[in-house]
Amino acid sequence: MNSVAQLAVIAAISMAAAGGTYLVKGPPKRLLHCDPATLKPDELCLEAIPVDADVVWVDARKRADWEKNGVPGSLLWNLDADEDMQALEAEAAVRIAMNPKVVVYCSDENCGVSRQVAERIRALGLGAEVFVLRGGWRALSEAGRVKVSSADKVSGP
Amino acid sequence: MNIVFGIWLALVAMTQAAGLDFKETLKELHAPADVKKVSADFEFTNRSDKPVNVSKYESTCSCMSVSIKEGKLRYAPGESGVVRAEFDMGNFSGVVDKVVALWLDNAPADKPSLSLTVRVHIPVLVNMEPKTLKWNLGGPADPQKIRITMNHTKPIRVSSVSSSSEAFKTELKTIEEGKLYELMVTPLEINNQGLAVIRMETDCDLAKHRIQQAFAVIRKPSPAETAPKP
Repeated sequence: MNSVAQLAVIAAISMAAAGGTYLVKGPPKRLLHCDPATLKPDELCLEAIPVDADVVWVDARKRADWEKNGVPGSLLWNLDADEDMQALEAEAAVRIAMNPKVVVYCSDENCGVSRQVAERIRALGLGAEVFVLRGGWRALSEAGRVKVSSADKVSGP
Repeated sequence: MNIVFGIWLALVAMTQAAGLDFKETLKELHAPADVKKVSADFEFTNRSDKPVNVSKYESTCSCMSVSIKEGKLRYAPGESGVVRAEFDMGNFSGVVDKVVALWLDNAPADKPSLSLTVRVHIPVLVNMEPKTLKWNLGGPADPQKIRITMNHTKPIRVSSVSSSSEAFKTELKTIEEGKLYELMVTPLEINNQGLAVIRMETDCDLAKHRIQQAFAVIRKPSPAETAPKP
C-alpha cells in the first residue's frame, strides 16, 4: 500500500471515529467564556461572585423555569404580560431594601430581559448596586450553582 | 485624497455589509398604549454582483421574534427582501432597544455580519416620581411628596391610596383632576427601620396601568451619607 492510500485509510478511520462519537455523545459542548475585558459597566462574570456571596439573586426568566431550577432563594422578576408586575416589584423592593446588592440573570447571554429588569430595580431608587450576570442561567448551570436535570434546556427569556 | 477615498470606501462597506443594502438599520416605533405586539420591517436589496445567503438570524431578546419574508434566504444580485422583527410588549415600558443580528454567507458564529436595531417607545401612562421616599432612622419625620402625572389621551383619576404599613400617613392632593396629583407621605414612627408599599388605584381603562405603587423606607443612612463633607 502506498503512502497516499495509507493516509486515506487513516483519515477514513479518524472520520468514522469522530462521526461515531458525535452520534453517541452528541455535538461538542461549547462552554461559556466570560472575558472581564468585554463586560459592560454593570455586568459581572460569575467567577466574581463567590458561592456564599450575600446578594439578592433576581431571576428574569419565565416563572416555570424559575420554579424548576432558579438559584435557591432567588426572586422572580420578569416582564411577561401574564405576571402581576406590582406584586413582583413589591416583593423585590422589600428584599432589596434589606440587602442592596443585586444580581439579575436571565437564560443566557442573548436573552436581553435581565438588563431591562436591572434598570427597573435601579429606577426604584432604593440605592441598590445592581449587576447583570454575563451568561445568565447558563453560566450558573455550567458552574454547577443551580440544579440541572437532563431535560433542562436554555429557553428564553 | 487617497485617505478621503479610503474613508468613503469603508463607510460604503459598513452600510452594505457583504452585499445586502438596508434602507435603515434603526427603526423607531411609537407603540400605542393598548397594543400587545409591534413589528418593524427592514427592507434590503442585494447590491453586489453575486448571490448572498442569509446563513443565520436571531434576536438578542426572547421578547422579539425575527423572520424573513417568505423564508427566503438566498438573494440574487438586485433582489430585495424584508427582515421582520416582532416585539412582544409584555410589561416593558419606556424606551427599549432590541437588536437583530444577521449572519451572511460564511460569517463566523461569533461575529454577525450586521445588526438591526428596533427602538420601541412604550408610553408610561401613569408616572410616580420619585418611586421611593427615604427617611433616615431617628431623623426628622418630615412629610415628603410623590408627584403623580397622567400621560394619557383621556383623564386618569386616582380612586384610592393605601399603605401596607400603619407607620406612614398618606394624603392625596389633586392639582389638576385626571392629570396631576401629589401624594404627601409622612412617617408616624421614625425609630424603626421598615418599608411600606403605597398602592394607588386609578380608573385607567387599560388594566396594565390601573394600579401603581411607590415605596416609603426608613433606613440607616449609608456610610457615604454620614461621612463629613470636605
